[in-house]
Formats: sequence, structure tokens, C-alpha cells
Amino acid sequence: MGKIFSGSEILLESLSRQKVEVFFGLPGGAVLPLYDALYSASIRHLLVRHEQAAAFAADGYARVTGKPGVCLGTSGPGATNLITGLTSAMMDSIPVVALTGQVPAAMIGKDAFQEADTIGISLPCTKQSFLIRSAADIPSVIQRAFKAAVSGRPGPVLVDLPKSVLMDRAEPVYPDVAESERPERIREWTDQDIEQAAEMILESRRAVLYVGGGAISSNAWQEVRELAELAHIPVTTTLMGLGAFPSRHPLSLGMLGMHGSYATNLAISYCDLLIAVGARFDDRVTARLKDFASNAKKIHFDVDPSEINKNVHVDQAIVGDAGDALRALLDELKQRIRQGKTAAHEGRQQWLQRIESWRAEHPLTYDKYANTVKPQYVIETLSRHADEDAVISVDVGQHQMWAAQFCSFNRPRTWLSSSGLGSMGYGFPAAMGAQLGFPDRQVIAIVGDGGFQMTLNDLATVAQYRVPVKIAIINNRALGMVRQWQEIFFEKRYCDTDLNFAPDFAKLAESYGIRGARVEHRTDVVDAVRDFLSDREPRLIDFWVDPAENVYPIVPPGASLAEMVVEPPRVLVEEEILDDLWAV
Amino acid sequence: MQWLMALETNEDPISTCRLMNIFRRKGVKIATLAMAARPLGYSIIALVETPEADVEHIFNYLRRTEGVHHITYYRHEPAGKASFVFIDSEADSSSVTRFLETVPESKLVFASHGKYLLEIPAEKFPRSTSAAFGRPEFLPFARVRTSRSVLHPELAVARAS
Repeated sequence: MGKIFSGSEILLESLSRQKVEVFFGLPGGAVLPLYDALYSASIRHLLVRHEQAAAFAADGYARVTGKPGVCLGTSGPGATNLITGLTSAMMDSIPVVALTGQVPAAMIGKDAFQEADTIGISLPCTKQSFLIRSAADIPSVIQRAFKAAVSGRPGPVLVDLPKSVLMDRAEPVYPDVAESERPERIREWTDQDIEQAAEMILESRRAVLYVGGGAISSNAWQEVRELAELAHIPVTTTLMGLGAFPSRHPLSLGMLGMHGSYATNLAISYCDLLIAVGARFDDRVTARLKDFASNAKKIHFDVDPSEINKNVHVDQAIVGDAGDALRALLDELKQRIRQGKTAAHEGRQQWLQRIESWRAEHPLTYDKYANTVKPQYVIETLSRHADEDAVISVDVGQHQMWAAQFCSFNRPRTWLSSSGLGSMGYGFPAAMGAQLGFPDRQVIAIVGDGGFQMTLNDLATVAQYRVPVKIAIINNRALGMVRQWQEIFFEKRYCDTDLNFAPDFAKLAESYGIRGARVEHRTDVVDAVRDFLSDREPRLIDFWVDPAENVYPIVPPGASLAEMVVEPPRVLVEEEILDDLWAV
Repeated sequence: MQWLMALETNEDPISTCRLMNIFRRKGVKIATLAMAARPLGYSIIALVETPEADVEHIFNYLRRTEGVHHITYYRHEPAGKASFVFIDSEADSSSVTRFLETVPESKLVFASHGKYLLEIPAEKFPRSTSAAFGRPEFLPFARVRTSRSVLHPELAVARAS
């Protein structure tokens, strides 16, 4: 007979065998046996101040490392507090393993103290969930959980651990870890599918590559770039896909969709071939569905068969790992080129020139000579002074869109955003998780004053562990995006979007032992940013930006991408009025 | 439009909960539902009404869902185009017995609580079965898609209990 261990010890050993270096959590009654075992274990645990931060931190860790992030909450409220983070990870296909405490097995279903039906609650926001019934089952379930999190379309998995299971003793049998490190990816495409896709590319005159988060999670960014360069196809990315193609590349179109640039949205509207890679045609991308790339044939690469034809009918579906499929496509295209066919159709140069002219007509810009602190200027300055491999983590709202528009993304896994769920409060704890994944990298949380107030309690966590996250608050004293919609679409009937009643964030940071500063003048921005990024300590800057600034372009609700509003309606200056009069 | 969805899941009933949840979210109208326990999981058959666009998505969603081993869906068709018959005999299995006597080559795909799905050999369909399709409990179906790579290896010659 082998050695006997407690369920808690078996769990920690199972996590170690999955190469978990750190996890994020907060103890409570049901998980006390686990924390007791943790007392003498080597695995690192970060004590967060709210379980939602644990889930977001695990998500941030997973996005930058590509490995599953792990979070933990006790039974009942601990578990329910994880749910928003798990839902966000589900929407964005991020591999997270959530461990939740549960009341002792014999008390399940009896409305015990801090009991919640965690499996039931988490059903729609996890890929898979397990309720462990015996300590001996822990190794195999943890193995399955980690494998499920990274296999197919990645996503969150939950393991519910009754207190009795953590306390029971068993002789563990650990499965082969290498097994869980091999994610399973379906492959449903055939050589004929690839040949058909190659033919469509060679025939097209106005192709666009539309790249989403799937290209990042399948590590297919090299293949995307090679395809773009081989066939001279411009590349637009979704919010999730930022970093999958270098912003500085001449073929980069930046982001498309509701706040995509003029040139990008027109390129989508007038392309004759759309090649979607790991993207899901969501409503913020497509705008009015019937007019989305309505002149284009469509090829869709996706690992998830349920994404095919879900929102937009495609002409050629290629279901499988994007990297594998793109490599096959590249081989096919290269073979055809060797046979004398040209991958870059003659018309493609005209297409690229046309896009350039649109870009020149309405570039992404803002008032660079304003006296106020423009939020775009702050974000652009942060991006310019950040390290080449810096990680940018954002919250949700106007600052998120400005960051997507004005930051430069030249590497994958450097952009963290709760894109599908759009969960405010994400940016700061996700940055914390990313920093734990790469302790030596620069990690900048660009957050709004609204979102930051949802998770700022974890300032205590970064202060306690000296996690050197840089927190830049784009403070417009409002729930800016909601206010913008009230202004544009609800006749300026501003209702409960004013956040002027707020703490002094710099002083608040100081109270946690974190250096804080406030910037209120445009001329101070550059020096403040340089200083902010100059050390390896957690820092906070509160940028008081122009509260009237709005995000443009914007596609109004119900409109098509081509019907975007490019810039705010201007008040004519006197000179222009005179010009108009002379014209009459 | 009427569809028949047949699933096999692992032994964790959470997969069944996921099926019910997607039916609920998509507003799928469930006409009949039957579930049978197997040694290593469950077999479920659901007669539902939903638009064609939704059923394809539900099929794809479920076939990539953890814990779902196989899923197949069938479209309600006129008897001439069908090769399966779904029988909801409730407590009285005599009609099924008579049907099987008429078409002994029928193969049983699913049977539970008076719900039967039978595959009918093409040459027997609809000649031997036309009489049956006048009855409301006999519904003809055609298989649209299945996640099985090898079709119905589990089929056995049917016997109504």
C-alpha cells in the first residue's frame, strides 16, 4: 500500500503536476483544509481582496502565458463572486480553471451555511464542471479539467470541491501529465476545402483578412502574417485579435467594427473576399448584419464548428486549428505560385491604394492642439513610451476603444480586454495576473474611473506583494461610454452617468503604500508618463481628461459599417461661416 | 419545423442540463423528450420545434460540448423521403410490435418509455410502412447530420417490449 494523503494535499500536488506556479484566491470555511495544506506547500498563492479579481487575474495570466490560469473561491459567495470572471473567460475563450469550495458532501442540497449550487450556477459560463465525490478522484479530475480548458475552443472549467473531499484521505494515482499538455483540436477540413479556399483567394481582387482571438489562442499569428504578405491582403483585427498582426505593418488596417476606422470599415464593406480567422462575426463587428461584407465571398477558419454560419453564412468553412489549416493553405498557395499563378492578383495593388486613400481621407485622429488633456493623447503617449513587449490591460468603455485605436500592438498576447462580456473592473486585476505570468515585463492597466472603482480594493494585493503593475486612470468623471450614448442617441438626457463623487485616486493609492499622482495639464503628460514607467514598482496616475471627448468613428445602432459617423458634428467657426456666405 | 435530436452523453447528467439550457435559451419548443440510462451514460431523444437555422447551431454547439459523445439530428419529412420512424406509443407498445412484424428488418436506434426510433431499410420504405404513417404516433424522419464517424454501429434488430 502506498502513502496516504489528504484531498487537499492531493489537490496541491495535482496542480503542481500541471505546472501551476501561482493561483489567485481568497480563503473561507469550506476551503480551510486546502489553505492548511497550502501553509507548507511550495505553490504560490496570491490573496486577493475579492474573488472576482481572482477570476480576472487568472484570465489575465492565461492570456499572456497561453497556459490555464487558476483561481479559487470558497463555497457559496466565494464561488458566486467568481462567476463574472468565468463568464468573461467563456465569452473570450480563455483557459481558466476555477476551484471552488463546497459544503461537505453529506450536506449538499440541505441549504447548509455558505452552500450554493455552484455547478448549476456555472453551467452556462463554463466549458465543463466537475463535482468531486472522492479524494481519490482528484488527480484524474484535475487532469481532465486542465485538458478541457485548453482543448478545442479554450475556455473556463470549474472543479467543485466539497470540504469532506478535501479532508478525506486517499492513496493518489496521478495520471500522465504529458497527456493534459496535448490539447485536442478537431480537424474537419479536407484537402479539397483548402484547394477551394486557395482558389477563392487567387480569384479575388479585393480580399481582406479578418483576424480574431482564435488566431492568438492557436498561436497562428505567424501564419496570418505569412498569408497576408504572400497574397498582399490587408489585415483587420477584432478587439480580441489585437496583437495577432503588427499594427506597424503596412498591411495592417487596425480594428474594425463599431469603433473601427473609416478605411477599415469601408474595406470590409467593399471587399470581394473576407477571410475570417478565429473570429466569430459578433454584433460589434458586423453592425447591420445583412450589409456586413455583403459583396464578399467568405472563408471561415474556426476550431469551433458551432461558430460556422452562426451569424453570417460563409462560402467555405474550415473547421480545425487555425495554425494547421493556414499552414496547409500556405502550402497550397505556394505550390500554385510555383506553377505560375500569382497569389497577389493584379487588382490587389489598386485595392490597397484605395484603402490608403480612405485612410488619408479620414485617419484616426483627435484634436492634438487642444488645451485640455485629451484621453487619446494620454493613451498614445503611454503606448509610445512603453516597452516593446509591454502588456496593456484595459477595462471597458471609452478608454478601451481609444486604447484599441491608438496603442501600437506588435506582438500577440500583449493585449488584455474583456471583449465579449465587456466587464468593467477587469483591467486592473487582469493586469495583476499578467504580471504574475511575466514578472519582468512591463504591465500597464489602462482603466476608466468607473471600472476602476469596481475592483480597486485589490490595490491592497499589489501593494502587499509589490506587484509592479502600472495603473493609468483615464478619468473623465463619468461612465463615459454610457454618457456618450446618452449624448448622441438619447438627446443628452444624462441620467446617472456622472461620477464626480469619487475618491482622490492618487491619495487612495498612497494610503495603500503605492505611489500616486494626478495629471491635469496637457503639458505634464509626457514627463508624468516617463516617470510613471521608469521603475519596477506598482504606480498609479490619475489623468484628468477632457470629459466631453467621445469615441469616433461610431456605427450607430441599426446602421451598417459603411454608415459610420466619422467625427463629431462640428460647430462652424466664423471663418467657415463666411466661406459659406461667399459661396452663396 | 419539427426535428428529432438524439444524443449520447457521458455519465455526468450536467451534459443533459446543458442540452436543456440551450433549448431554453433558444426558445426551442419541446414536444417529446425521453431519456434512458446506459452503463456509461445517457441516451436522450427530443422531438422539438425550432427554425432550421437554430437546429444547425444547436447541433454544432452540442457536438463540441464536453461530455456529449454523439449527437444526430433528423428532419421531419414526408414518408417518401424518410428512412427513420419515430414512434410515441405511450404505454401501449402493441402498435410498435405490429409495425416490427411488418418490417422485421427495422433496426432500433432508441427505445425508452414508449418512445422508439427505428431505422427502416430503404427498400422497405415507404411500401411496408405507408399504412402506419396515417397514425399520429408514427412520424417519419430523415437523418440530416451526425457526429458519428461510423454510422450506427450500436444498432440491433428491434424488439418492442
